[in-house]
Parts: sequence; C-alpha cells; structure tokens
Amino acid sequence: MAVQDTALHAAGDGGRKGRSPAADGHIRPRKLSKRGVRALEPLLWIGPALALILVVVVWPVVEMVRTSLMDISSTGLTRGFAGAGNYTDLFAEPDLPGVLLRTLIWVLGVVTVTLLLALGLAQLLSARFPGRRLVRWALIVPWAASVLMTALIWRWMLNNFYGLVNRVLMDLGILDAPVNWLAHPAQAFAWMMAVAVFVSLPFTAFVLLSGLGTIPAEVHEAARVDGAGPLRTYLSITLPLLRPALLVAAIINVINVFNSFPIIWSMTRGGPGFATDTTTTYLYKLAFDNQAIGESAAMAVVNFALILVVVAFYLRAVRWREEVV
Amino acid sequence: MRRHFVGIAIGLSLSAGLTGCGKGGSATDDESDGKTIRFVAAKYDDDTQPYWEKLIEDFEAKNSGYRVDLEIVDWEQMDSKVKTYVQTKQQPDVLNYNKFSDFARDGLIYKAEEVLSPKVLGDFLPVFADQAGYEGVQYGLPFISSARLFFYNKDIFDKAGVSAPPSDWAGVEAAAEKIKEAGSIPLGLPLGAEEAQAEFSIWAMNNGGGWTGASGEWAVDQSANVETLNFLRKLTKAGLTQPNPEATNRKDVFNQFAQGKIGMLNGAVFMRKGFIDSVDKNLNYGVAPLPSKDGSTHHTLGVQDYLVAFKKDEGKNREAVNTFLDFVYQKENASEFLSTEGFLSVTKSAGEALSSDADYYKPFVDALPGARFAPTDKPEWAAVEGAVKQRIGTAVAGGDPEKVLADIQQTTEKDG
Repeated sequence: MAVQDTALHAAGDGGRKGRSPAADGHIRPRKLSKRGVRALEPLLWIGPALALILVVVVWPVVEMVRTSLMDISSTGLTRGFAGAGNYTDLFAEPDLPGVLLRTLIWVLGVVTVTLLLALGLAQLLSARFPGRRLVRWALIVPWAASVLMTALIWRWMLNNFYGLVNRVLMDLGILDAPVNWLAHPAQAFAWMMAVAVFVSLPFTAFVLLSGLGTIPAEVHEAARVDGAGPLRTYLSITLPLLRPALLVAAIINVINVFNSFPIIWSMTRGGPGFATDTTTTYLYKLAFDNQAIGESAAMAVVNFALILVVVAFYLRAVRWREEVV
Repeated sequence: MRRHFVGIAIGLSLSAGLTGCGKGGSATDDESDGKTIRFVAAKYDDDTQPYWEKLIEDFEAKNSGYRVDLEIVDWEQMDSKVKTYVQTKQQPDVLNYNKFSDFARDGLIYKAEEVLSPKVLGDFLPVFADQAGYEGVQYGLPFISSARLFFYNKDIFDKAGVSAPPSDWAGVEAAAEKIKEAGSIPLGLPLGAEEAQAEFSIWAMNNGGGWTGASGEWAVDQSANVETLNFLRKLTKAGLTQPNPEATNRKDVFNQFAQGKIGMLNGAVFMRKGFIDSVDKNLNYGVAPLPSKDGSTHHTLGVQDYLVAFKKDEGKNREAVNTFLDFVYQKENASEFLSTEGFLSVTKSAGEALSSDADYYKPFVDALPGARFAPTDKPEWAAVEGAVKQRIGTAVAGGDPEKVLADIQQTTEKDG
C-alpha cells in the first residue's frame, strides 16, 4: 500500500502545482466580474470538451437510435416511422442467437487468453536479460502493423493451396493432406481468435509491464526474507499489486475485441453462411447484404447497449478501486 | 496538455465542418444553372478512370457550357456509397450501377425515354431493354453485359481421356471423375459470398429452375432448385470440386483455372482479359455451352449493368443528363468502353462496331438470345441476392438444400 500512497502524493502535488499559476492569473478578472458570470466560468474550460463530446459521441448515438426506429428502403430513402418494427425483425432473425453466443465466446476467449499470455510476457520483459530492449521492440510490431494487414497475411498463411501453415504442418508430418482452415466454422473461428489474441497482446503486455514497474523491489525483498517461494510471492504479492493494471487491461480489451471488425471481415467475411459472424460483422451484413438498414441500426443499438453494460461494469470497478485506496 | 489537445481537435473538426459547408455551397451554385452534372461510375478495372476522363474531356469540348464531375467508386464500396448518397439526398445525376428497380419503386429516377433521345432508345438490343423495366416502363439504361459459358482446359481433358466438353450433367460427373483420377481439380464451383447467386442460377436455369415461377412470382424454393443443389452437393461430397465450394470465391477458381489447375468451370466473357491473359496467355482452353441436366437446351446467364439518371431540382438537370447520356451511347464511345473492359454490347450499333476479336466473342454473342437474367426488375432482388450470397453455399456443406432455399424464399416476402 505504501506504493500507492506515494503515487497519490506525487499526483496530488502535481495537481496543486499545476493549479496555482492558473488561479493567480484569474483572481483579478474574477473580482471585476459579476457572480453569475463567475458561475459560468467553468463552462469556459469544459465547454470545448463538452462540445466535442456532443458532436462526436452524443449526436451519432442519437442518430443511430433514430435510424433504428425508421423504415428505410433498400435505396436509402427514409419512408417514415417504423416504431419497434426493426427490433421485432431483428429478434426474429434465426441467426441472431448463434451470433450473440459467438460474440460472447469471442470476447471471453480472446480477452482471457490475451491476459494470461500477457501476464507471462510482462514477467519476461521485466526480467533483466541481454537483448531485452530488442525483445520489447519486437513485441510492439504486431501492434504497430495494421490489423487489416495482419489479418490478410494470416488468411494467406491459412490458405488451402498456397498457405504456409499447411506446408509446415505437412513437412512436419502432422498433416497428410492440406486442411482448408478457414472453410470450417469451428476451425476458422479458433484461428481468428488466435489472430485477435496476437494483435491484442502487445498493448496488454505493456500495460501489465508498467503495472509491474510500480511494484517496489522492497516488497519482494521482504517476501524473500520471510521465506516465501517464487509461486507464493507471485500469487500473494505480484498479482494483488498488479490488480489495477490488470483491470484496466481487461476492460479496454473487452471493448476493443467486442468491436473488432477487420479480422473477421477480411478472413472469412463471417462465412460460410453466418457461421463465424459476431454482432459487429452481422450488423454490417444486415445493412449491405440484406439491405435492411433500419434493422442493422437496431442491431447497432443492441450492440451499443451491450457495451454500455460493460462500461457500467467498468465504472463500478473504478469506484471499487477508490474505496480500497 | 490535454486541454491543448482538445483545443486542436475542436479546431480541426470545426475547420473540417467549415470546408464541408463550403463544398456543399459551391455544389448547389453549380447545379442551379442545370449544366453541371455529377456522374458516379463503377470501377471495373484500372482502365475505367482514364476512359471516363477522356470521354468527359471530349464531351465538354464538344458541348460548351456543360460540365461533368466524375467520381469513380470501387464495386466493393458502391452499395454503401449509393445508400449514403440517397439517404443524405446527395445522389449523383447519373450513376453506373447493377440495380435500378428499387430506385424506380421509390420514384428517384427518370424513365429511360425522359433522358435518352429516341434514336438511342431504339438502339438497345431487346433482350437487354426487356430486363430494364419496372412495372412495364423502362427505367434502367443498359450499359454493359456479360455472358457465361463453360470453360474447359484441353490439356487436362486430354490427360484424363475426356474427348469432348460435357453437354449434360451426367457427362459433367463422368468427366469430373476421370479428371480426379488424373490428379487435377475437376470442377470449379464458386459458391462463396462473392458471386454465389450467379453460379447457382447457372446450374438452376439449366435444370428448368430459377428465381421465379411461371407467372413471375418468387419461387426460390421450387423443386428444380432443390434438385440442382442436391446435384451440386453430390459433386462436392464426392470430391469432384475444389475443396469447400461454400467458402470459395469466384475470383479464386478463375485464377486457378488460369493457372491450369482446374479442369472445367462456368466462366465469364471477361475471363480472358481479366484472368487468363495476365497469368498464362498460352493456356490451352476451349469454350462450350453451359451443361444442362438433359443436355438438350442450354441457357446462358446474362448479366448487365445499368446507367440510371436521378431526378433532381424538379427536373432541372434533365436536359444536361440527356445530352451527356446521348454522348455516352454514341457508337464509338460505347464500343470503346466495351473493348477496353472486355464486355459485350447492349446496343446494336456498338455490337456491329466491335469486330476485332470476333472469334473469342462470337460464341458469347450467339448465346445471348437464350440468355436468362437475374430478376433485377424486382425491387426485392437486392435483398434476395444478399441472402443467396450468404446462404446458398451452406447447402453443399453442412446445410440442408430444402431448408436453405426456404430461408431465402422468406426474404422475398420482406418489403425491402
């Protein structure tokens, strides 16, 4: 807990120092102005951010909800109010339950595996060894590369005829004949989850690495003096102190992975049929294959509601942290 | 720091908004004279843009005062662009697209006779003009067409001991078995999302099936179609196609045919220019009618793309659009586009002007009178097509043909 206290003090000091010059500069104009105007002063500071939020966050959401309630023809022409029609159409889609279930598997699977692997990677990267800097840089590469590019490269590597994966597995004698990985829903979905883990790892590992950096050496030393073994130290000291970083990494990953579109779209296009769709690719198909724009907007609203639930969970978690501190 | 960043972001978004307004303002200024039109063209390949740029330069030189603003859009993005334009009331004056009937249903476009001179209107080949009407009135302006024929690799056929291209389904199956023994992929069957609707309808129409019934009503689930899918499923399960037809796109098998890996497939007229010539100019292949169930009559699948003209400003743009379209359909201009892109003519005059390469194109042109088309005159087609692309392939893999077709039939009952 000592660590967090020092961290808090540092932040507190910084905050105070940052505030005082601004306050000095404003004391005189404040005296001259009327009280009502003074009450509006905070608006001056939060106004731009507020306007930005209104324009780029609130307005699209309103527009999305409005679209989901309209009857829109396949040409894009708005024909009037549809009430809940788009929602009843959406919930009557026979493919929807499968899509929702797959989204759940996708998010849980990718985030869990990413976190587990990232814990190991972060531990490795925080250890001192020659060439550590090089390894840290190498880990950034999948992050820096475009997700679309990574997904396309994997699609080619998994190709039935030319793919590297089949070649390697056949040369090793593991396979007798090439497997068309992306044509079978279960295999394709597993591979795409692997790619999603691959692109999520760097960010997660670095968040956890910075979390590890905040754990002071004294705590570990104390544990060693008390005779705790490596496993006990990790479970009782490292993991609990890593909890805030782990939480941040988990929430951000859940939101990212939930909304992930390019991996699935470029590798299988959600196919065959709808067998590898998640809600994000499914809503695109509703709009541009089924020509049901209103229904697609309804799916987007449902998607958005699901994310809101996750965010609410996040906010609760953050408050939980405040209580602990 | 953060405030600074927000300030910059606000500044950027404000300036973006302002330039957006600026553009909008000037565009309406231009349109008010009724002589400037916006043309959105689909990108067929890299030669498309130079062709239109040159044509528009020509047009503006010969018709002073008129201006055409060109926008080339990739086919992949076409659907979303068009929807966005219509939804935000920014539709172009002229659009090059593969659908027209839902625009006609929604009252967005001109009738053909309103934007073409009678001479051009009479120049369309009837087989195409017939497919361009909505409720008995022609709205779509046929622009290019393609037809499908059966392509086979003569070297693979020789090696497998198949003497002639099969004419009926039993022949296809027999030839496929021999080719499989000889070690090549027998039949290319692309039922992946890209063009599954075309591949399926080729087999279905040559079995007396199709999208609609005798009186023009939707009949996707008719028994001839079920039988067709059962046949394709049988070929797939017997390993007589490339692996996983349900996940194979057309361009994949076209490429593999060009590389000499596939024995036979339903090919398209643009296959030579678009696929074979760029890979292997010396590929030893032949072209034959599409095999049918009993081998007696053979239908080809005709595909046509259209130009459509949107109504704007209470018809103020009509005259300029008419002038431009008449220019586009002039014999030399139309035939140059066709030979640039490797398509078939939709007009009598341009067809006559296309004499080069007659040997390759002749069988396709000859097949056109018996061509069957996708029901683009039905507004529901767009949604049906989307459903077919997604679902039909699953019928040869895990799905049940009858159930898959019934699911697709259901989408015809929505109002789009």
